[in-house]
Amino acid sequence: MENIISIKDVTYTYPDSEAPAINNLSLDIHSNEWLSIVGKNGSGKSTLTKLIDGLIECDSGTIEIAGQIIDEDNIWEAREKIGIVFQNPDHQFVGATVEDDVAFGLENQGVPRDEMVKEVDQALKMVDMQAYKTRDPQSLSGGQKQRVAIAGVLATKPQIIIMDESTSMLDPNGRKTVLDLIKRLRKEQSITIISITHDIEETQLSERIVVLNDGKVVKDSDPKTIYDLGPELTNFGLEEPFSSQVAHSLRDAVKLPEGYLNEEELVKSIWKSSSNM
Amino acid sequence: MNKLILGRYLPGDSLIYRLDPRGKFLITFYFIGIVFLANNVVSYGFLLLFVLFAVYLSKINLGFFLRGLRPMFWLILFTVVLQMFFTPSKDPLWSFGILTLSKEGLVISAYIFIRFVLIIFISTLLTLTTTPIEISDSIESILKPLKAIKFPVTQVALMLSIALRFVPLLIDETTKIMDAQRARGVDFGEGGLIKRIKSFVPILIPLFVSSFSIAYDLAIAMESRGYKDGEGRSKYRVLSWSMRDTVTAIVMLLITVILLFIRSY
Repeated sequence: MENIISIKDVTYTYPDSEAPAINNLSLDIHSNEWLSIVGKNGSGKSTLTKLIDGLIECDSGTIEIAGQIIDEDNIWEAREKIGIVFQNPDHQFVGATVEDDVAFGLENQGVPRDEMVKEVDQALKMVDMQAYKTRDPQSLSGGQKQRVAIAGVLATKPQIIIMDESTSMLDPNGRKTVLDLIKRLRKEQSITIISITHDIEETQLSERIVVLNDGKVVKDSDPKTIYDLGPELTNFGLEEPFSSQVAHSLRDAVKLPEGYLNEEELVKSIWKSSSNM
Repeated sequence: MNKLILGRYLPGDSLIYRLDPRGKFLITFYFIGIVFLANNVVSYGFLLLFVLFAVYLSKINLGFFLRGLRPMFWLILFTVVLQMFFTPSKDPLWSFGILTLSKEGLVISAYIFIRFVLIIFISTLLTLTTTPIEISDSIESILKPLKAIKFPVTQVALMLSIALRFVPLLIDETTKIMDAQRARGVDFGEGGLIKRIKSFVPILIPLFVSSFSIAYDLAIAMESRGYKDGEGRSKYRVLSWSMRDTVTAIVMLLITVILLFIRSY
């Protein structure tokens, strides 16, 4: 698989702290994959996004995006390939109305107005927010704001979308809408998705999970292997998936196969064991 | 916050709403200028009729405009009373010490009263029918010539529109902080002046801190979306000057001519 981002031996220390936030970290991200980055608070997840987008500069090491090592001269080019949806929906709105905000990224690229009108309409259609086009952001719910933020990112057609804990401030419903949207978009277009999260449901959707701890990659594997860690997951700031918690408490009473079971598998094995009785 | 009409936008749709905001903005200032041309009963009556006609065209309830007068009430009263009693006259109706009440004084104070009403009505009309963002757009386009002297017009415009965008957010934030502090026992609006001022500290400090953190988050979000320095950006929002704006401008010129005529008559 082709790498869209490759990070080599990157170290970064915040100016006013002693320990490095990112410590000699190397990571390859393939194109079109859905990668989850998890880790405890303070493990360096958000710092990593900022490094990837060049919002902060690494002390040592290199970051390569789409085959090009980023530096001061080409950072804006690289940034056009990356769209970030941030955590707090209120603090990422620039425009006074929904359409203005979606157009902001296009304005920055100097896209002519006729084209912008089309792109904005299309992006809003993708997130199903056309009806709110002229509304001001204060009158929207958190989930709707997050959808508008995604539309703003989609309008500029990035190859990589980074979701920096984008669903952490939403209620379960808002979270589901946003995740369904991302899932659908990934089916329709080829985008690489990097999702930074504490939410186990979100990691289940991904193809690979990278666990960070103290600015280092400690685990890098597919979800099933990661969930196999069981209770150890809590050390990395993750809860066990619900099916795995159920399996845990049932293991003594019901005979279940070893390892991680997703909901479907769990249901099947419970059926199996009760039909044997 | 509900009492303040001046500076508030009222959603609606009428001829005045559809006028180009740049035109409205300039015409409002122009009108405030020509109000001072009026010098007799006919000219003031003429201007008052014009303003009432504009209010009628806006299809906004007159009550809103009257409420717009309210915050200025004391200033109006003060000026009018001062004019009424301190206009020197050879033939006073009543006098006591330095106080004189005369016919001229009464007329001048009536003029000043009407002048206040005219200026407040017309500026209320501008803000009621124009969204803040339209106002900031028009300021940008009016300031555009200043680019020649290296005035950062685009940056100022973005600054204005972000400031406007954050007014409701910060109001929400303030209410939240106030509620949170109330829940911990702070009493707002109780006790003497010093105590009241002191009780604002637990609002202002968190508000400052959170505005800075919002500013930081927003700056990161803007940069990640490719914002460099305001140059080379295209514009999504465009203002269009149409026939009716030209007509309004001509009407304003006609009014000036009529006013000059009545004035010297």
